[in-house]
Amino acid sequence: MASPSDLREKIRKKRRALQESLAKSKDDVDTQALVTTEMEMSRDRGRTEVEQELSGSQEQQVTTLKQTLKAQRMRRRRKLLSDTTAEATRGEQPMGTELSEVGEPLDSVTKPRSTWHTQRDLPPLPVETPLRRRVAEKLKAARSKAETLLQQEALSEPTSCLQSLRDRETLTRFDVECPPQTDPGLLSREAGDLSTAARVKFQDVAHRVRQKAEMETGLPTAEMAYNFFTFNFDPEPQEEPVKHQKKRKSRRRDRAEEEEEEEEEEGDSHREEEEAGAEQEEEQEEGRDEDAPLVGDQGSELFIIDQTAQDFLEVKAVDYVGYHSRVQRESEVLFTPSLRTVPASSKVPENMQPRYMEDEGLYVGERPPMSRVNQNILENRILQQDEGKKWFGDDGRVQALPDPIKQSPTRPPLFSLEGDLDPALQTVYRKALKSKHAGRYIPGAGPGEGHRHCQLDVDVAGLIFSHHPLFSREHVLGARLAQLYDQHLARQSRNLTGLLTDKLNGLRNALRNIKDLHGEQGRSMAMRQRIVEYKEEVKNTRILRNTEQEKDRTLLKSIVKVWKEMKALREFQRFTNTAYKLHLRRELVELQKDEQGFEAEIQTELAELKGEFEDEYQRKMEQYSQQHEEWRTWRRKQKARKKKKKAKMRDDGEEEEEEEEEEEQEEEFLGDEPPKPELPEKQDWALAEQQVRERASRWRRRPGEPVLVPEISLSGSITPTEQCPRGEIARREDISKRSLLVKVLYNDKEVSRTDRRTLSSDFRVHFGQIFNLKIVNWPESVRLQVFEVVGSSSSLLAEVFVPLPDTTVLTGSAPFQELEFGSSQRVAFDHEGVGSDVPFSFEVDGSNKLTLLTSGKLSCCISWAVDNNDVPLAPPTSQQPWGVRSGLRQMDAIACIGASGLSDMKKLSKWAAESRLDPNDPSNAMLMQLLTVASSGSMQMPDYFRLEQLQEEFNFVTDEELQRSKRFRLLTLRSQEVAEFRNYKNIPAVEREVSEKVFQDYERRLQEGEVIDTRDHLDAHRALVAKYLQKVQESVVNRFLISKHHFILSDLVQEDEVPSIGVLGLNLFKLAEPKRPLKPQRKERKKVTAQNLSDGDIKVLVNIIRAYDIPIRKPLSSKPAMASKSARSFKEPFAAGQSSQSALQGGDWPLSQSQIRPFVEVSFQRTVCQTTTADGPNPCWNEELELPFSAPNGDYSTSSLQSMKDEVFINIFDEMVFDITEDERERGSSVHTRIERHWLGSVKIPFSTVYLQSRIDGTFKVQSPAVLLGYSKERSLASEGGYDAVRCLSEGSFITLFITIQPQLIPGESVRERMKEIKFDTQEEERLLQAAEVFQRDAALCFPGRPCITTVIDINGRAVFVTRYIRALSPPQELLDAFPNSPQETMDLVARYVSLIPSLPDSVSFAGICDIWSTCDQFLTLLAGDEEEHAVLLCNYFLFMKKKAWLIIGTAVPEGPTAYVLTYEQGHYLIWDPSKGQYYGQYDTFCPLQTVGCLINADNVWFNLQPYDAPMRMSFDVTRSKLWKPFFSRAFPNPGLSSVQPEEIAYNRPDKAAAAELQDRIEKVLKEKIMEWRPRHPTRWNRYCTSTLRHFLPKLELSGGRDVGEEHRLELHNLLGDYRISGFPLHMAFSELHPLMEMVYSTGVHNVEAPSIEFALAVYVHPYPSSVLSVWVYLASLVRTR
Amino acid sequence: MKFHGPRATLRMAELHIIGQIVGASGFPHSSLFCKWGIHTGGAWRLLSGLREGQTQVDSPQTSDVAFWSHPIDLHYATKGLQGWPKLHLQVWHQDSFGRCELSGYGYCHVPSSPGHHRLRCATWRPLGSWQEQLAQSFVGGGPQLRFPDVIYSGADRYRLHTGAAGTVELELGIILRNFDKYGVES
Repeated sequence: MASPSDLREKIRKKRRALQESLAKSKDDVDTQALVTTEMEMSRDRGRTEVEQELSGSQEQQVTTLKQTLKAQRMRRRRKLLSDTTAEATRGEQPMGTELSEVGEPLDSVTKPRSTWHTQRDLPPLPVETPLRRRVAEKLKAARSKAETLLQQEALSEPTSCLQSLRDRETLTRFDVECPPQTDPGLLSREAGDLSTAARVKFQDVAHRVRQKAEMETGLPTAEMAYNFFTFNFDPEPQEEPVKHQKKRKSRRRDRAEEEEEEEEEEGDSHREEEEAGAEQEEEQEEGRDEDAPLVGDQGSELFIIDQTAQDFLEVKAVDYVGYHSRVQRESEVLFTPSLRTVPASSKVPENMQPRYMEDEGLYVGERPPMSRVNQNILENRILQQDEGKKWFGDDGRVQALPDPIKQSPTRPPLFSLEGDLDPALQTVYRKALKSKHAGRYIPGAGPGEGHRHCQLDVDVAGLIFSHHPLFSREHVLGARLAQLYDQHLARQSRNLTGLLTDKLNGLRNALRNIKDLHGEQGRSMAMRQRIVEYKEEVKNTRILRNTEQEKDRTLLKSIVKVWKEMKALREFQRFTNTAYKLHLRRELVELQKDEQGFEAEIQTELAELKGEFEDEYQRKMEQYSQQHEEWRTWRRKQKARKKKKKAKMRDDGEEEEEEEEEEEQEEEFLGDEPPKPELPEKQDWALAEQQVRERASRWRRRPGEPVLVPEISLSGSITPTEQCPRGEIARREDISKRSLLVKVLYNDKEVSRTDRRTLSSDFRVHFGQIFNLKIVNWPESVRLQVFEVVGSSSSLLAEVFVPLPDTTVLTGSAPFQELEFGSSQRVAFDHEGVGSDVPFSFEVDGSNKLTLLTSGKLSCCISWAVDNNDVPLAPPTSQQPWGVRSGLRQMDAIACIGASGLSDMKKLSKWAAESRLDPNDPSNAMLMQLLTVASSGSMQMPDYFRLEQLQEEFNFVTDEELQRSKRFRLLTLRSQEVAEFRNYKNIPAVEREVSEKVFQDYERRLQEGEVIDTRDHLDAHRALVAKYLQKVQESVVNRFLISKHHFILSDLVQEDEVPSIGVLGLNLFKLAEPKRPLKPQRKERKKVTAQNLSDGDIKVLVNIIRAYDIPIRKPLSSKPAMASKSARSFKEPFAAGQSSQSALQGGDWPLSQSQIRPFVEVSFQRTVCQTTTADGPNPCWNEELELPFSAPNGDYSTSSLQSMKDEVFINIFDEMVFDITEDERERGSSVHTRIERHWLGSVKIPFSTVYLQSRIDGTFKVQSPAVLLGYSKERSLASEGGYDAVRCLSEGSFITLFITIQPQLIPGESVRERMKEIKFDTQEEERLLQAAEVFQRDAALCFPGRPCITTVIDINGRAVFVTRYIRALSPPQELLDAFPNSPQETMDLVARYVSLIPSLPDSVSFAGICDIWSTCDQFLTLLAGDEEEHAVLLCNYFLFMKKKAWLIIGTAVPEGPTAYVLTYEQGHYLIWDPSKGQYYGQYDTFCPLQTVGCLINADNVWFNLQPYDAPMRMSFDVTRSKLWKPFFSRAFPNPGLSSVQPEEIAYNRPDKAAAAELQDRIEKVLKEKIMEWRPRHPTRWNRYCTSTLRHFLPKLELSGGRDVGEEHRLELHNLLGDYRISGFPLHMAFSELHPLMEMVYSTGVHNVEAPSIEFALAVYVHPYPSSVLSVWVYLASLVRTR
Repeated sequence: MKFHGPRATLRMAELHIIGQIVGASGFPHSSLFCKWGIHTGGAWRLLSGLREGQTQVDSPQTSDVAFWSHPIDLHYATKGLQGWPKLHLQVWHQDSFGRCELSGYGYCHVPSSPGHHRLRCATWRPLGSWQEQLAQSFVGGGPQLRFPDVIYSGADRYRLHTGAAGTVELELGIILRNFDKYGVES
């Protein structure tokens, strides 16, 4: 026995060998497929033989093991044999086959054993567990059994099948080692088959295969894996083992059960056999030993490969319970209801018959459908349960509710979506549209907001001819019949007779009641009156009733008559054309009752008549007696007179007879005696009775006569065309040719027409078309024209005027109206058609001729449309003129009374009560109903519509309280951005913390909208102007707000441009740039949008670089040099290189003197910064000052920033140091000085300019006062050198500045950019505008930096061509008269006048809106305007003065794009700054005008095409078209545009008194202010000085602000020798007080804090025409020197 | 300490709706924008904020969720609970030609409890007749409600043929003030 260590050693060797062989056999691919199949087969098999092989390979390691194995094997074999023998004994099969087959299973058992060698991958275990062995045993036993079963089965199978199976087995058995070994009995047989050589071969092959299998047991190579998955294995070898397996498995399953039994049964015999078979097994083992080394070697190799697994696992057969046993077991537990029908008897209670409710006539609902089988199962199951029978009903069926499932779906079918869908739910198919203006989302708004249109709906339903030329005679009768019948029906429906009878009865009853209640005596006067009224009523009603009855009767008669005629006609012509048929329905009545009623009626009538007659008689008698009385009195008088006459005439008797006659005549004449009343009464009575009876018999139904009810039906058959005579056929053909159409004419214009409809044989045409007319004009008439079309020609048949509907008549509620039409056209036919206006007869002989005209009825309906929101599209009622009559009045209860639009129910009911409407009258029915509704209290019609009912009850607070809440109001106002509350930061959280004061300003503003506050303006006119400006601004702002909300992408999205190749290239070049270039350039900074900013984020940077020519101090003692105030000529400034003045003065002043110590102070929004102090008149500071910026109300929006009026003040001061050390002894040790600063001049730059231009860079002229006390302008050529020679030609000081905002804000779109987007309406010609656009575009393309203007916006917001602004206008005459001899002076004065008109930039007043040009008169009225207005005015003045003048559109240094004036003067061009009143030569360095874009005069516009745009470097000769591109050229000549300017401007006289008043007020205000600014120091005013100064000011004004200082300084000096004066006059155009104060403040005079300081302040206001005021403020501080 | 009844101090009920329309998902197209509006009863008064608006068009490149993150900030005062604010939405699709077509209608109540809420508003879309659907699939466009207030009004919509659209996601923060003074507990 080998020890385990030896074993391991061996295994190691084997593994090495295996690896070698692996490497060798790698390329043996061919067999792999086979191997794998082999592998698969064997994997399942043979596990049971583990022990066997182990023992074999390890050379009988454990003998005990071997023995047991043998014993097992023997047992198994024996069992097998016993099985077979048992079967054999059973005699089922012949013995021979039996024998041969026994080998098979054995064979198959051993075969796996050998293949298993290759497969084996488990390590051997030296000690086998008994358990495992037992398992193996069992399995083996099972298998053998399975084999036998298989064998049995195979026997039963057809032989062919068996054969093939066997063949295949032999095929695969190539790699089987040596099957014969297993059974000695069979061995000999098999050995005979196989030669030894073959065996060796087999073994080789087997060996090889085994090796391959080994390497597979390890990791399969990639190749193998690939093959495994990809090769198409031969199905045949695979199929067989699978079959085997399957069979075996099934066998095994069966066996598993049998086995147990068998084992039990055969337990004894087994044991016996075991012993017997042990020897046999021994032999077997020996036989196998031949192979053992081979197998053993390999086995030991294999076992080592994988040391894990199966030892710990137990392989068990699937725990399986046989089907039958399971069924059996289950049957004990489970209950399976049978499928058979349950007999009815078991379902109903005993001794009862099933009862069927249906048979008893009771309704039994339909039971839900259920399959019979399921029902049976259910019933069977239920019956098994306790009380199972209670589930069954009396009929022996399971109780069930009727089928709950509806046959039809509950949800209504959606056949037509559009048809009758609720209009609120209708959908519209909208195309996917590109929305240019993505509209704001309004949830409820319809598309057509704004202007509402009106819409009339004309519905043409159809028409019916009552006569048509193509009518046959029968048709004529038919139409007549139909007409009569219609009449009859209408009458019947109205039932007037019945109603009147009822009324009559009612009245009679009432009368009787009255009579019964009150006796004859008790009647009051009123009662009697009522009785009379009643009687009258009864009489009228009776008469009415009688006539109605008569009408009914006649109608009926005529219907019958026509029908008879028709029948006769049909008979006569032998065909039928119409379908009319008349039936007379008889309603029998009871004769007796009828007679009674008839008689009673007649009696009542007679009685009434009698009463009436009596009354009549009485009345007549009364009348008679009255008259008789009168007559008698008269008679008496007459007689008396006669007597007198007689007495008189007694003298002549002949005449008596005549008189008698006369008397007789008179008597006859006078005697209007009524006829005897008794006689007519009697006569009448009999007659009346007779009349009544006659009438009754004639017009009323005789008693007993049946009631005849005519009925017309269209059921009659029309004779087909073939059977008709020729004439009729022709007529019918004619009909079919004709068609009709209706045109709709609105206000005599055809708006639409219906389709053509053919005329049908019954002469009815149905159109049924609705025309929707959208109406702009007021409806005057709507006509419908009926056209008859024959072939292609159409003729107008008739025209119908349709009454216009009331505005309350709306579509949907309007009824149809039938409008009759007729035509007098004469139409005759040669066929049966009767024609129109042609006499024809029904009689055969042609008598009784009849002439009919075409006529008919058109059914249509006109109403006002209702739009989608149920808003009637009718015009407002108030607009409806009175002429329009409603055609539907008779339909509308209220309208038919003549009270259209009567909506006050109270009035209506009052009217109804007054007019005593008959409540039974059907025409009043609607009204009465309305009245009952109105009068009953509960149904009171509310005059409002409650939208949210029950809201009130659940309210927290009332509306008023909500309205009263101050906090909410504040919040709302803030969100509405009301000016006062915009950017209101914090609103208190609690109501009581909101003070009432908050709203004061706002409310005041609301109240005082129109009231002008003159306090701030000092001048009523200016206040008005300010108001006007504000209004204009508001309206323009409102107009602009809309377009402002229109954002473009760049407003919202800031997108960095994707760098292109070019940019990248440039950047590459930049790398090579010097790090610190010699001339650094300012870099563009990142721009910041102004939205997210807050206070303190923005700073204004002011870089003060240097200044030139600052005035220097003048020592007090020095002798003043008289400045030669020579008359300046225009040539002087241009004469280069000569400055006599400075040369003259140059010598007077020693250079060494400390002339001046200037510093610059910049103030902005009351923040002040200052530079250090420099020395000399040309100081250089080069300092950067930073000033914080805060927007008004913290609103950093673009518009707000643009409209800021703040200005940056740059003031130049002189710092003076005074030694105030009082004690001389201390002078050595301490310094005690006082610093004073004296204002020298200032530069103002509006913030809006800085904002819009983002930076301001340049040299500016310092606005210094004309006189600076204590200073003088000195120049020394020596100090300045030659380089400055050109510069110093201009007078004044200059300062070089750079101003910008940090961080850079994105300026709002500039004015002109905005203009391009907004289209203004205009009166200019389209062609001109186009040309202007092209011109401007070209200009912008060529020279984008040069401004070009062709059209501008006037104050009404219209685009106007710019040349229209230029027109010669006369300046005020005063100015022209001032210097009659000197045109230059006049020009100066005029320029000064223009500059005195206050300047107000458009961008401030019309924030970010547009540049508005006002005409000169508007400008002078408003007294405010920006540079353009000034320039236009100045230019116009110059033109009037016969100068050559142009408007320059260009850019200037502080103000940006602006307008200047160019004049041509003696060979020189002068550039005028209109808002300052100064002029510059073309070659002036300090001219603020930087670029020239275009020139404009009254005739043309020229655009600058020169390479340079600086005025110094260009030519102003506009005739050279290479340099200047004219707008109007030969190709496009000037159409002769008229000017928008007035012909003449009316100027007001200067108002001296107002000026004086203003002067006083300004002085007062300024003095107060100065005192206010010096809160800690007393302010003393030196009156003497003030009055002196006041004298100077008019002189200054006269001199135009030019240097007159020397004179009056001297004067002052003389007067105030003891004082050190420093002061200056300030001058400005007067607009408001505020800028004036600002200016005074900025000079800082009030800051002097010397203890002995005194001040002097003088104001002078000089009035110019048209309220232009020039304001001078002389400010001085005086310090006593002694 | 003096007692102040609600009348004395005049404390009105106030409601703040602060939040955002986060985005939409589940729509067949991706390039979406949303129009929204808030509808209230008559008792409600808008103190500040915008009642309606429209988001930008978001065309997500990766996911199918369109994000707008559109802010909503409203401040209401009310005198009653009736007509509690409702938010109604219309999701629109902008196609590759820049044309806009409707993708879905939806509405949801503004939550009545204070705090932060995430809402998902399902949307729907009228289908129209088959001709319209055909036209829609080829040339775009589509049926839209003639009266968009049907979105939030209680009209009988059962006759309307609609299809489901995607979901709009909202985040709303609700702040109630003084509602407890009137017995409304939240």
